[in-house]
Amino acid sequence: MTELSIALPSGPDHQEGPIPPDLTLRSDWRSRLRPLLAFGRFEVGRLLRSWRFLAITVGFPVIFYILFLGDHTAGKVVDNTVPWRVYLMVSMCSFGALVAALNAAGTRLSMERASGWARQLRVTPLPAWSYVATKVVASMLVVLPVIVLVEAVGAGFGDVRLAMTTWVGLTVLLWATSLPFAVLGVFIGFLVAPEAAFPVVTGLMFVLGYFGGLFTPVDQMPGSLQFVAHLIPSYHQVSLALAAVDGHTLALSHWLILGGCVAILGLAIVWKHRLEEARGVA
Amino acid sequence: MSSLSAAPAGALAPPRPNPPALSFRNVTHRYGNRIALDRLDLDVPRGEVLALLGPNGAGKSTTISALLGLVRPQEGRVEVLGCDPRQAVSAGRVGAMLQSGSGIGLPPGVRVDEALRLVRRLYSRPAPREQIVERANIGSLLQRRTDRLSGGQAQRVRFAIAIAGNPDIVFLDEPTSAMDVESRQGFWRMMRAFGDEGRTVLFATHHLAEADEIADRVVVLNHGRVVADGPGATLKAAVATRRLRFVADQPDRAQLSELDGVTEVGVCGTGVSIDSMDADATIRDLVVRGVMFRDLEVTGAGLEQAFVALTRCGAEEAGRSREIASAGTVGADGS
Repeated sequence: MTELSIALPSGPDHQEGPIPPDLTLRSDWRSRLRPLLAFGRFEVGRLLRSWRFLAITVGFPVIFYILFLGDHTAGKVVDNTVPWRVYLMVSMCSFGALVAALNAAGTRLSMERASGWARQLRVTPLPAWSYVATKVVASMLVVLPVIVLVEAVGAGFGDVRLAMTTWVGLTVLLWATSLPFAVLGVFIGFLVAPEAAFPVVTGLMFVLGYFGGLFTPVDQMPGSLQFVAHLIPSYHQVSLALAAVDGHTLALSHWLILGGCVAILGLAIVWKHRLEEARGVA
Repeated sequence: MSSLSAAPAGALAPPRPNPPALSFRNVTHRYGNRIALDRLDLDVPRGEVLALLGPNGAGKSTTISALLGLVRPQEGRVEVLGCDPRQAVSAGRVGAMLQSGSGIGLPPGVRVDEALRLVRRLYSRPAPREQIVERANIGSLLQRRTDRLSGGQAQRVRFAIAIAGNPDIVFLDEPTSAMDVESRQGFWRMMRAFGDEGRTVLFATHHLAEADEIADRVVVLNHGRVVADGPGATLKAAVATRRLRFVADQPDRAQLSELDGVTEVGVCGTGVSIDSMDADATIRDLVVRGVMFRDLEVTGAGLEQAFVALTRCGAEEAGRSREIASAGTVGADGS
């Protein structure tokens, strides 16, 4: 592109000769941002109007929370310091984020790739990276209200009392640490055929939820399962959130593992994309 | 065997001030061991409506993918408007309707007008909405959900999406493959009208009639190479070509070449293979001239032979006819 504009600068003296094709993008940030915003709005709007998505995303964490609340025994303590009711709310926030992120991207992305829509977008001016990036951002955007909703249930019915700054800090922390789920959702969409995507997503929701210690605290699990839990982002997300509520330091190891998950899944998506491009099916 | 001889402009020294809409220079691409494009050379001037014709696996889709930068050929150079294909795509100068396989190629769960609005917003200079709706004839479909469209309706919407960015060049990969005859006719009119505005249209098809009716020029691909290249108007005559095969004791190539309607003669020992534009006349002439033949067999000459004949309708070249004759003999084994 630079070569073209150097060789054929636009000017009145060039109007007489053959006019070069205007292949230069308008470089101001507004015109670059416009397609991205349009696509982002389109994606989020589509999610929020899907009844199936809303029912699953809101229904699962809230219903599970209410069911677990019945099991609530006053004074029960997790890990010697954290009250059961706080653990319950935090783990249901994490579950809600997991459900929302996997359902937002996984099934849909798989369908769009199979239907040729993903490929169609690649022949528009939308930059190639933005399809995946927008999917991740849209997932993150629907994750936030789910976290806030579960927190509202916790404050209203779950007997959770926290300082305002703690609420805000907890929300931001839970939201930021949901990124691995958003990327995982996109990865599943890349990997799995549309017919399999829904069962895979649903299965993963419960597998990652259970082994990540969202339904039973990890330190109450048998030793071998505790080892598995340490490999799952949910565990590290909940650990960070509980530490934040308790005013403990946020251990670096949790952040590193969550960041590692994002990096590995991100690389896996790039690898899958490259593979398809080489085969000419991307 | 390609059309380059007909397009000497390609030999001009670079940089070419007014580049063709599309150009392939010695482009080779393989998927593993399978060759998809084999030293492909092709120039398409602006404003041309070009049909890429060929059997499945001939390299049509790979050609279009390369023009969109979806495939990066291992060798050679592909240019769109004198630039890298990806640049042309990001600048919004091209539109495309790709093969969608089993799916519809549209976003599920939204209305047609929402999909169209999104695509228009992705381009900096989109076509006016009304114009797109009218051209693609989707006025009655705007409120429909994309997953509730029939095959032909979905193709019209996908055409609307291909032209939404007001592109100079449109690529259509077998756009009418899922259509009934009536919607196919309507689609052809749309494509032709778009080309008549001076835009470049390249479409892949395996319908001869489609290529013949709408294209200014037909390029036949086989095994990733251009096997024939010529104007669409003469297509029908070329398709009438028949191949005659028989055994003669002492075939005389010069004599056989003078027979009525003959375009090609291949002789191999006592076996004779003749391509003719008028098989009846050729056979009558064989009898009149007293050529002793037996085991006569008349077959449709097949697409490739038809297009070899087509290209010969243009300027004759001495060296070329021999090349084609030998190719025709080889091809006879397979037909």
